[in-house]
Amino acid sequence: MKSTPYNLVMSALYKGEKGSRPPAGNPTSIVCHDLMDACGVSFPQAHVDANAMAELALAGHETIGFDTVMPEYSVHQEAAALGCEVDWGSRDRMPDSRNFPYADFSDVVVPENILEKPSMRVVLDALSILRRHVGGRAAIVGKVMGPWTLAYHMAGTQNLLLHVGLGEKDKINKMLRQLMPVTTAFARAQFQAGADIMVLADHATGNLVGPYHYEEYLLPIHQEMTATIEGPLILHVCGNCMDRLELFADAGFDGYHFEWQVDAKAAVERIGHRMCLVGNVNNAQTLFQGGPEEVRKQARYAVEAGVNIIAPECAIPLATPMNNLKALVAAVHEGY
Amino acid sequence: MSDHIATVKKAVVDGRHTEIETLVQRAIDNKADLDTIINEALIGAMEIVGQRFAANEIFVPEMLVSALTMKKGLALIKPLLKGDGPESKGCILILTVKGDLHDIGKNLVAMMLEGAGFNVLDLGVDLSAEKVVSKVEELKPDILALSALLTTTMPEMEKVIRTLESRGLRDSVKVMIGGAPVDSKFADKIGADGYGKDAGEAVQLAKKFLHLN
Repeated sequence: MKSTPYNLVMSALYKGEKGSRPPAGNPTSIVCHDLMDACGVSFPQAHVDANAMAELALAGHETIGFDTVMPEYSVHQEAAALGCEVDWGSRDRMPDSRNFPYADFSDVVVPENILEKPSMRVVLDALSILRRHVGGRAAIVGKVMGPWTLAYHMAGTQNLLLHVGLGEKDKINKMLRQLMPVTTAFARAQFQAGADIMVLADHATGNLVGPYHYEEYLLPIHQEMTATIEGPLILHVCGNCMDRLELFADAGFDGYHFEWQVDAKAAVERIGHRMCLVGNVNNAQTLFQGGPEEVRKQARYAVEAGVNIIAPECAIPLATPMNNLKALVAAVHEGY
Repeated sequence: MSDHIATVKKAVVDGRHTEIETLVQRAIDNKADLDTIINEALIGAMEIVGQRFAANEIFVPEMLVSALTMKKGLALIKPLLKGDGPESKGCILILTVKGDLHDIGKNLVAMMLEGAGFNVLDLGVDLSAEKVVSKVEELKPDILALSALLTTTMPEMEKVIRTLESRGLRDSVKVMIGGAPVDSKFADKIGADGYGKDAGEAVQLAKKFLHLN
């Protein structure tokens, strides 16, 4: 196998043949101010303009050296299409939404032409642009929000979790099932537009809900989605999820992108034989506030633990020094 | 502890929000001491809830329902108390700093601090340093609790502390910080008085600040 970025990532995804080194990937955003300055494209333009979006994603591969390109930087593409008023932020501030259109758990109305909404279309167009630039050379990663994350956006995080606590199962399940087709349709469209891999971000994180909540509400939905979405799927769930790793493997995903709070060695031992593991260099203390040597140490720890694709743990802080991202890439170039 | 107190306490721990008013009324009707209901049953229950949360036995949904249950119980008792309400352990101003709209962590901390008997004034989210310091000057809290979920907004915490210093107010208030990207090293770096990694630790820190342990 030639050790090209694309080959290294795709082979690692299925725990196949190892090339000359592990791949460095970004299931989540690696955009920082340094990268924006290096390629002349900034936020918020890169959230709303397909060429800008693709340019910034490309820079992650060409300037920093990641083996993947991933053009979706916010978690609000679907939310905007579903009626949230999204503030696309600025160079210093990630997007946020200011309203919860279904806080009353009324029926979610999914527009028939949702894929044509600007916030969805921009991602599809950016993926097609990336396909023309790096198709077959770097792995193109798409991203969708899962029904749980979308329910946070539709109903409000605290409101949703209160209803979980109150045992309002019918309301919650109804909302999740009404949102599931949005995730599925967007994922399929992104594969068609040019994505090689799909990240499904669904924030049933250990910092908010228990493994029993995931098992009751989300596991059946994830199992249905992984059975019907063709194409490689990586689950992204933030936070400490040590108590639910096997459930994620049971859900049928090909890979799991995890945070520093989940120990790499433990994750590999418990589910490394069932899933590709992606992660997990710490953002706040290491990539943002630390230096290249600290980044290298954590990246090498993950490599030596057997993590398949080395990555930051989540979307990086915007002020992360680019040299720290380059240190992660340099760490994988040391080989196995 | 009398049966009625124990029953109210268990109802809050279990989040039995539909039964709590009946149970509290029963305790009142049976001449249970109001301060005992508040301190042992309601506040005592939230201490247990906080411990279970810290031990990952329960999560945010259960905490929210216990807090709701406790508030419902307290609402029945408040009108019966002499004066303005239960004696407060201290006044805490809590908020999320400028540029940050995340509030669930802050809301949980506020609930737990209220549950522990503090008077909590929640200023909401996206507060500038100038606004925070004006509120400190106006409301004179014992403790200022700052929350940030984003690494981009962490520097605002330092701005608040520097602004307190420049207005000669730093020594008038204890400052605690919290939020996912923050840690004790950052707290020390910016000159905060303490850091709590979760709502339970925030309560312990507040008690420590006011020598209530």
